[in-house]
Amino acid sequence: MEDNTRYRLSIDVGGTFMDFVLLDEQSGQLRIEKQPSLPTELARQCLKGIMQLGVDIGSIGKIFHGMTVGINALLQERGARVGLITTSGFRDVLEIGRGARKEVYNYLYKGPPPIVERCLRREVPERLTPRGEVLLPIDLAALHREVDALLQQGVDALAITFLHAYANPVHEIAARDAIAARHPGLAISVSHEIASEWREYERTTTTVLNAFIQPLVRNYIDSLTHELSAAGYRQPLAIIQSNGGVCSAQNASARPIRTLMSGPAGGVIGAKFLSDHLGHANVICADVGGTSYDVAIIEDGCILERSETEIARRPVVGSLIDITSIGAGGGSIAWLDHRQGFRVGPQSAGAAPGPVCFGRGGTEPTVTDAHLILGRLDPANFLGGRMPLDAEAARRAIETRIAAPLGLELQVAADGILSIIEANMANAIRSKTVARGLDPREFVLLSYGGGGGLFAAGVAAELEIPEVVVPVAPANFSAWGILTTDYIEDAARTLVMPFIDATIDNVCATLAELESTAVAAVAGYGFAPQEVRRVRRMDLRYKGQEYTLTVALGETCVTGREILVQARRDFVAAHRRLYGHGELESDLEVVSLRCRAIGPVRPPRLSATASTVTSTARTRPVYFREAGRFVETPILERESLRPGAVVEGPAVIEEWTTTTLLPPGWRVERDAMGNLLLRPVSK
Amino acid sequence: MSTVDVVLAEIVRNRLIAATDEMAKTLIRTAFNPLLYEVQDFGVSILSPTGELWAETPGCTIFSRTLPDVVRAGLARWGTELADGDVLIANDPYETGTHISDTSVYMPVFFAGRLVAFCGTTAHWADIGGKNPGGWCPDTTDVYQEGICFRHQKLVEAGVRSVAVWDLIADNVRVPAVVKGDLEAQISACLQGRERVQALCTKYGAAMLQQGMEYVIARTDRSMRDAVRALVDGEYGASIRLDSDGVNPNGDFRINLRVIVNGDRVRFSLLGSAASTLGPVNMPAPGTRGTLASVLKGLLMPHDPANEGHAQCMDYELPPGLIVSPVRPAPVDSYGYALECLTELMFRSLAGILPDQCPAGGFQISGVTLSRSDARYGAPFVMFDVLDGGNGGQPAADGSTMMFVGNGDVPNIPVEVLETRFPVRVERLELEPRVAGAGTFRGGAGLRKEYLLLEGGMYTMFVTENSVDPTAAGCRGGSNGLPSYMEIEPGTDREQVFRARVAGIGPLPEGTRLRATTGGGGGWGPPRLRDTAAVLADVRNGFLNVEDAEQVYGVAIVPAGHGFRIDEARTAVLRGS
Repeated sequence: MEDNTRYRLSIDVGGTFMDFVLLDEQSGQLRIEKQPSLPTELARQCLKGIMQLGVDIGSIGKIFHGMTVGINALLQERGARVGLITTSGFRDVLEIGRGARKEVYNYLYKGPPPIVERCLRREVPERLTPRGEVLLPIDLAALHREVDALLQQGVDALAITFLHAYANPVHEIAARDAIAARHPGLAISVSHEIASEWREYERTTTTVLNAFIQPLVRNYIDSLTHELSAAGYRQPLAIIQSNGGVCSAQNASARPIRTLMSGPAGGVIGAKFLSDHLGHANVICADVGGTSYDVAIIEDGCILERSETEIARRPVVGSLIDITSIGAGGGSIAWLDHRQGFRVGPQSAGAAPGPVCFGRGGTEPTVTDAHLILGRLDPANFLGGRMPLDAEAARRAIETRIAAPLGLELQVAADGILSIIEANMANAIRSKTVARGLDPREFVLLSYGGGGGLFAAGVAAELEIPEVVVPVAPANFSAWGILTTDYIEDAARTLVMPFIDATIDNVCATLAELESTAVAAVAGYGFAPQEVRRVRRMDLRYKGQEYTLTVALGETCVTGREILVQARRDFVAAHRRLYGHGELESDLEVVSLRCRAIGPVRPPRLSATASTVTSTARTRPVYFREAGRFVETPILERESLRPGAVVEGPAVIEEWTTTTLLPPGWRVERDAMGNLLLRPVSK
Repeated sequence: MSTVDVVLAEIVRNRLIAATDEMAKTLIRTAFNPLLYEVQDFGVSILSPTGELWAETPGCTIFSRTLPDVVRAGLARWGTELADGDVLIANDPYETGTHISDTSVYMPVFFAGRLVAFCGTTAHWADIGGKNPGGWCPDTTDVYQEGICFRHQKLVEAGVRSVAVWDLIADNVRVPAVVKGDLEAQISACLQGRERVQALCTKYGAAMLQQGMEYVIARTDRSMRDAVRALVDGEYGASIRLDSDGVNPNGDFRINLRVIVNGDRVRFSLLGSAASTLGPVNMPAPGTRGTLASVLKGLLMPHDPANEGHAQCMDYELPPGLIVSPVRPAPVDSYGYALECLTELMFRSLAGILPDQCPAGGFQISGVTLSRSDARYGAPFVMFDVLDGGNGGQPAADGSTMMFVGNGDVPNIPVEVLETRFPVRVERLELEPRVAGAGTFRGGAGLRKEYLLLEGGMYTMFVTENSVDPTAAGCRGGSNGLPSYMEIEPGTDREQVFRARVAGIGPLPEGTRLRATTGGGGGWGPPRLRDTAAVLADVRNGFLNVEDAEQVYGVAIVPAGHGFRIDEARTAVLRGS
């Protein structure tokens, strides 16, 4: 797809700010802007930010957008009034759920309440078998009666889930078409389009959640599109999906549930792009924010994904980048539990009241307060001096709330806060690596976000990770990452059957069908079919097992015979690696087939940068665990480091949005592009 | 303990918990049996070299409390003969505390030649031989009828599999492929745990692991004692009767619990409970102790990750030979009824001094099994469909519809999975609100599930208890929930209704319909104090009819437009305010 216009823009909406990164496609230069993300006027703020960039909006060729409207609506449970249509006899599936007591010792545990109350869940006669055969044809007259009743009760979005629709969507399609013909414009979510996979509670919930946020997301996208076009923008608006690719604004409006991870996905995509450039195939991506620590993994050059997650205590089925988020960041609060156990997080002081040292009324000691009193932050030079920090208040808070009750010295208590939070961060990484049989020592850590530099070496040491990359402008890395995404469409189907000669033709035919669906969707964005890349995958398991492993089918794996041999070999290898055993000859079953189509977009160029300032030598005392005391430590400005410069720890490297800590025993190299590469000094 | 170790102890403890999470994931992802991969009827633990609980990820909480007893019994059996690479198997109910289907697989962990920990799993097997497919026999008269028994045999000896033991298992269960798959999954989980523990030892040293956890356990014990000390001293108690032991319908199957709170210790006395019964409703003593300890921990420290320290301030008056402390060969296969009874007795006993923590009574365990072992009708299978039912109303919320009442994180089996795995069709799955007790906060609804059998040659069993003296007792003026029942061919002239448990019904012909209705939870507080808006919502949602809203709750509700509204004036009269 040839792009004749000069600029490409990414807009990343976060909890506090929206970040803009404008790429000049000719020169490769980047321009950056920030606006507060006021929840009630996001679309207007977007426009305001674009205007501040100082370029003609008509010269922008594409806007890629990471949004949080959907996830916020879900987290706050403020969405549409949804009506649910189900197979006769199954309207309560949504409320019964899986019936598990997630907090095993809490006898007052309650699961999440159903998003759709019972009187808005109605049933229609129809029935399919697990193989997708029609047992009872759908009763369309009954469907219309039930939908009319729901509309009379003020429903403004519909969800439809029929049993076994993943095996055959015929009844869901008939229902959708009949309703659409009778009630044009009504928002309708049908389960096989949202999540064509089995387990009726999970699929129903995902479909209902899609319906729940759909009118809100649609309104947002419509008003943004309207504002943009009123300002003279006629080019595509593309939305980041949870799978890391972009899709059209129309598709995002129809299936907003696929864009829930729109925010954090951008950073991971950027991490992949940067890692490819640096030649790293195995990377741990860590986004250190104020309240959360988000971890994703790149293995063998591929971002690890999952097919289901849980949001606001409810399951969401669908491909998404496997991002683990824990409550750990600069604002995480240190506290003692009722038995004097030393805890840090998951509660955060957030932006308001914020850490004690911000002087905005925070009283509970946070991770940032600990960093400050250990000398890692400069109270006079935080955010380039825009926000003076109150070190004395931070000291008092840690002393009275942590150090005194535990009988610890102040700096030991402060260092304890950081040890615990680093251990929690390391555990989050461990659950993404070790738990899957991956050894973190074979990975590089890419540490970004506002706290990326402060926690880089500590977390890496904990996990014995041999190299850390702190990218240029780590605080804006996610918005930059959005510029590197491609158009992606996924198609998947559950189709449970033996993985044998007799069924392989069916497997091949279904894969071909999924491929043509996904490719057609990407072609709709203006790509010629030969430009579209395809990734075919299948979920396999041993006959008798329930859970599957996903194996990719390589480009040389096309015929039925090739698939039978190569997919089996890869499955067995993965099973052995993950679980320590695996019979090569045992019967296998195929469960789901997946195809991803990718329309590649030209990414920004990565180019060499020079140092921009000269700095004067400064030092201050900084506490290091390794030394067990404060050490007089050189303070460097990041912009002053020349390409190829090497600095031995201890050192503190400052830039206006963040700080990078280099403990004793570590060495940092500034590469040609400006990234900081941290490595332990070999002994 | 020096200051830095406080932090390290926390890290070590969290690492061990994370390790049990990994073990549980491995078990779920590689298991062959829906009771494990969907229902999570298992427990995973890491224990000290002397068998104290260090960390757990429970599906069912009971297993974490009883695995220490299993490991101690294994230590007594083998002493210093345990070797690196051994994997042991045990399911003797008098040691495991539950029933013979719950099989513990555990392994010693060695580091630098020394025993440093144990990793273990207990999991409900799809079959264990015995007279009933899938276990949970309702009418055995000794433990030998209940299945094949293991007492710490080495399944793997120093890394080498014992072909004899594996063959013995394969030759004695009805679905050997499933059982062997599950066994592999249990071993994989243990191996994963061992790797994590050894990595911790490499990093911090085995001594730090031991000292750190001793510190955590001692601190946990102190806070349990603090919580107990805060309770009003005194003697509290309750008792409940089972309907039947499954063999003798007429005995006195009473379970009697007294809880004596004295300073920082709690004494549980089971004196006055019936002698162990002829039929299999007995619960072995380790299970009894484990249940009581779990519930007290849950009531006092619900969010604390469990370890040995939560169970140290308790004493038991539990002489052998009772229904809650049977001795070999008394049958125990349906022990779970006693488990739920003990849980309810704890709530009833302590509701007076822990009014904000104790819910009203919930339903007794219920479920349906279908099985076929005769291959002439089709492939042999065992389907154990454990069902959700109503939990009790709570001090500030309605009761839930969940699996079990007091025992863990156990999801149900999705209909789409059930229909794919087994030759049945589920024709209806819905909430049954009529069995729930009324209250300021009502009990959870029961479940109604209808099965159509698509092939012949199947036998069914229905699981229920306490239809006479309900577990789902109302609390503080709430009414009781109603018990579970099953119908065969409901609404036809061949209809049979079962209000007590039954087994071995069959062979049922293709096309047979079964309908199970599970019990509801008891209500909490007087119904007439229920929020009128909640009553209106119940009527709107079909959980309550207009007549009951008026008669039971004193709320007058009238149709309005497409819904309902409250008649405030008449409601004021009805409620006398």
